[in-house]
Amino acid sequence: MRELLLDILDASAPGDACDWLRRRLGEHAAHFRRRPFYYDFSGVSRHFPKHAPVAATLEQLAALGEECPGFTVEGWDVFRLARVVLLEALGRQEKDTFLGTVAALLNTADLREQAAIYSAFPILPYSDDLVEAAVDGLRSNIVDVFDSIALGNPFPAAHFAAPAWNQMVLKALFINRPLHRIVGLDRRRNAALSEAVSYLAHERWSAGRTLPPEAWRNCIGFVDETIAADLGHLVDHGGPVDRQAAALVVASLPAEDAAPLRALLGPELAAAESGELTWDGLGRSLALDPGLNGSPVKP
Amino acid sequence: MKFLDSHVHMVSRTTDDYQRMASAGVAAIIEPSFWQGQPRTEPGTFKDYFNTLVGFERFRASQFGIKHYCTIGLNPKEANNEKLAEAVMELLPLYICKEGVVGIGEIGFDDQTRAEEKYLRLQAQLALEADLPIQIHTPHRDKRLGTIRTMDVLEDVGIDPAKVIIDHNNEETVKEVLDRGYWAAFTIYPHTKLGNERMVEILREYGAERIIVDSAADWGISDALAVPKTAALMKEQGITLERIEQVTYQNPLAAYGQSGQISEEDWSDTAGVDPAALFEGNTILRGGMDVATAMSQYRIE
Repeated sequence: MRELLLDILDASAPGDACDWLRRRLGEHAAHFRRRPFYYDFSGVSRHFPKHAPVAATLEQLAALGEECPGFTVEGWDVFRLARVVLLEALGRQEKDTFLGTVAALLNTADLREQAAIYSAFPILPYSDDLVEAAVDGLRSNIVDVFDSIALGNPFPAAHFAAPAWNQMVLKALFINRPLHRIVGLDRRRNAALSEAVSYLAHERWSAGRTLPPEAWRNCIGFVDETIAADLGHLVDHGGPVDRQAAALVVASLPAEDAAPLRALLGPELAAAESGELTWDGLGRSLALDPGLNGSPVKP
Repeated sequence: MKFLDSHVHMVSRTTDDYQRMASAGVAAIIEPSFWQGQPRTEPGTFKDYFNTLVGFERFRASQFGIKHYCTIGLNPKEANNEKLAEAVMELLPLYICKEGVVGIGEIGFDDQTRAEEKYLRLQAQLALEADLPIQIHTPHRDKRLGTIRTMDVLEDVGIDPAKVIIDHNNEETVKEVLDRGYWAAFTIYPHTKLGNERMVEILREYGAERIIVDSAADWGISDALAVPKTAALMKEQGITLERIEQVTYQNPLAAYGQSGQISEEDWSDTAGVDPAALFEGNTILRGGMDVATAMSQYRIE
């Protein structure tokens, strides 16, 4: 994993910065001390360019996913990648040193450092001891920090209990984050989450507001009378994308159970059943703007 | 015209201030670490304060299209609680090399005690080691001698005056500060210290070289718009736009830019963003309020 990450970093950042990082990795491997590690972790900002996106090839991305399913560096900048490399090295220390250092780093981390730490979780050891920190990180209202855990990160799906998972998905809906980028969203569907989505929809509708259409993806497999009625509401009162979301849920039902809804959803249902319309495509079409947040990365 | 307010305590300010600052053209701000009115009794509260400066406050500012930087340090008032001061000195190395930390500050003298001098000296050494600028708080009482004493201590440690911004100057201190090679910052307060009009006079006398205007707005009566307002007054009084830009933007950028942690390109893509466009659900900017019209009167085109 480390060599793969360093290869990607080599292609994304100036050579002298990568040389510095390799020297520091060597030093930490030979003689680990916490304070120099803290300095290096922060000091990434003094050696690497501030606004440089990571450039990974499709082959490299595929290799990352093979070593750690769901793990990706897509959308990262070089600060984050360099810090994740340092954390991967920290993961080779003994357990107490590792956990103590991670906790101390999180305790004093700036925005981009926090995002780097959570992004590294999938490739770090002692996962069970990191779950609480990830759950706590999701309490942040800072979009970048939330995103670093919730989006493009396989850690929550692999390690969260259902209540924490459900809170994460619901908060993503509240702060308008793209659900299709949550790793394991379909695999972690559950009845409680489906019910919570329905409650949330009723709340929103009572207030004359709407719910992001991706929300209904969580209800597949849990369509009861209430959800069926919600889908009817979406068809009658929603916009085009709401109808698409309803069609994607309806397409998952046995045709004989959904005759009335099927009758209302002609073209959308055909698209859903042909595979032309997918949840990921629907999610991408929403193009939710992450807006400005703690560490905007220039394109 | 764009402004850089190099001394403002945003943790004490409201989102109204952020909106007005953004509308008036404030592109970037520097928030020095200081005391918070109520003395702290535990080192942990310093840690959380520093975390806020490199964390949530940075995020809050970004939502209004303003880039937020900070200086990290143990302020002179709380340096007098030596047990606390020792613990804070242990914390400082964890923060001073973080991204966006543009100096050690605000440090200096308050009562001009022995403890204050000790921690001024230690932090000056830290700045030397980390190669960072220093932001100096000059005392309210016995200011002239306190300012001279501060410069004496810094020079004794071996600090280059070109890397030090001495703040809260007045007519009595500015000459010696400039003569000895330091940057001289002026805090514009509505009722105390220095009003905008006195500032105009100082500029006439000393020119714009190494002069900086800031608001030092905090939890007391103060004005988060002091920099754009002073700029507007300067313009009215016939000071050239070039000079105005120098003292409200270029000079603080050059002084703190010596940290390598702040540069104009950081905000070239964010300055002047309409905060209403950044509405992000359950964040600071709740509800679709109209902010476009706010306080544009202080903008200089």
